[in-house]
Amino acid sequence: MADMQQEIRPSEQRRSIDAMISGPLKPPGTLTRMPDDEPKPDFSDDGPAITGYGIGSAVLGVIAIAAIALAALMWTQHHDDADELRYRARAMQAAADWTSVLINMNKDTVDSSLVKLHDGTVGQLNADFDAALRPYRDLVQKLQSRTEGQVDSVAVEFVHHQQPGADGRPPSQPELSVFATRTDTVVVVATSVSENAGSGKPQTVRWTLRLEVADIGGKLMIAGLESVR
Amino acid sequence: MKYAWRILAFDVAPPLAAIAALVYIGITLAWPLWWVSACSVLSLLIVEAVVVNVVLARRDSVTVGTDDDAPGPRLVVAAVATTALAAAVVVGYLNWSVPDRDLRDDTAEVVGIATSISEDSATFTPRSPTVSIDRATAMMSPQSAEAFKKEFASVAKDLAARNISAQASTVSAGVEAIGPTAASVAVILRGTQNSPGKPPDTAVLALRVQLSKQDGRWLVDDVSPIHSR
Repeated sequence: MADMQQEIRPSEQRRSIDAMISGPLKPPGTLTRMPDDEPKPDFSDDGPAITGYGIGSAVLGVIAIAAIALAALMWTQHHDDADELRYRARAMQAAADWTSVLINMNKDTVDSSLVKLHDGTVGQLNADFDAALRPYRDLVQKLQSRTEGQVDSVAVEFVHHQQPGADGRPPSQPELSVFATRTDTVVVVATSVSENAGSGKPQTVRWTLRLEVADIGGKLMIAGLESVR
Repeated sequence: MKYAWRILAFDVAPPLAAIAALVYIGITLAWPLWWVSACSVLSLLIVEAVVVNVVLARRDSVTVGTDDDAPGPRLVVAAVATTALAAAVVVGYLNWSVPDRDLRDDTAEVVGIATSISEDSATFTPRSPTVSIDRATAMMSPQSAEAFKKEFASVAKDLAARNISAQASTVSAGVEAIGPTAASVAVILRGTQNSPGKPPDTAVLALRVQLSKQDGRWLVDDVSPIHSR
């Protein structure tokens, strides 16, 4: 608006032209009157005049708001991604911990181990726990074995191909979906070496397990156990 | 007050937005030392400008936002704030969105390569003994391919002599660990060996495929069994 005030206004122009025309006829005193001495009309009362500056600021404002929206979007997306990675790490840890109890069962600790394992399960596996783990328990007790196991690999399953002719394990547990926010499959590969009380030859067991890890109110529980054979 | 929105839009919002943008950049960059100092200096300048604005407002009862005679500073204020926000968006995109997207793409790509090389390395046909090995080595880095070929040449000769054929299909695969330039994938396969005059022999194989990114391409460095014994 400052530049507008520098402009010569039509009324002033007229007066100065008049002054030039009628100059010599009038007393010289009138010429000394400068336009600056006139009271300035208040231009801000003319309503909002949109200048180049105003348009520029408006455009920048729109860009700034768009930038804020984009930044917020990137923020949430990144944090979702980071949460997802953290969750996967937790799921892998939960599966590894559970498996490590399973593969380290000794004849002395079998009962406490089974209680620990049972506490970590949920859903179908929890209900059928005794049936599902009886083979392992019987084996440990029968062999009177001292077992030392080690988890070799843990990975969140990314692809899974159902084998043709496999007696499709029921993958969906409808009652579980009520409690679990999400369920992931974790593949655990482990090796255990059993020294049996009877024979002196140590026995190596290779475990290839697919565990269903369910998120129950922030606590990760094992909802399914499948041994890949 | 008539000028309330201008005070908000030019005296209050821009400095807050600019400081927020500087902090956002700091978070996306994970606060490297140079940005800590740059951010402090720039924030101090902004605070200083705000203080000067407030002091002048008390003296002249006009702020940058309300001064009708000075539209220039308003444009400058809007431009500085918008530049800071745009910089935050660019830095956020480069440091968050791009790596997150790359990680997702890499995960899918790496698992695809790992499953196909695992199947190839466990597949053998006596009539064309080198086909699957050639297919596998095409996915490997040159030095690993050389070692792999050498290792499998004798095995291939033996299998061919005994007329044994082998097939493998992926049961399950997942990423153990992945970074921008290296990855490790666990692949569970079911392999079947057919030798003349014997029933087919089925076994579960667990393979670890290690990959690294070279010139923007994922190449396999190593394929090894996961089971420690």
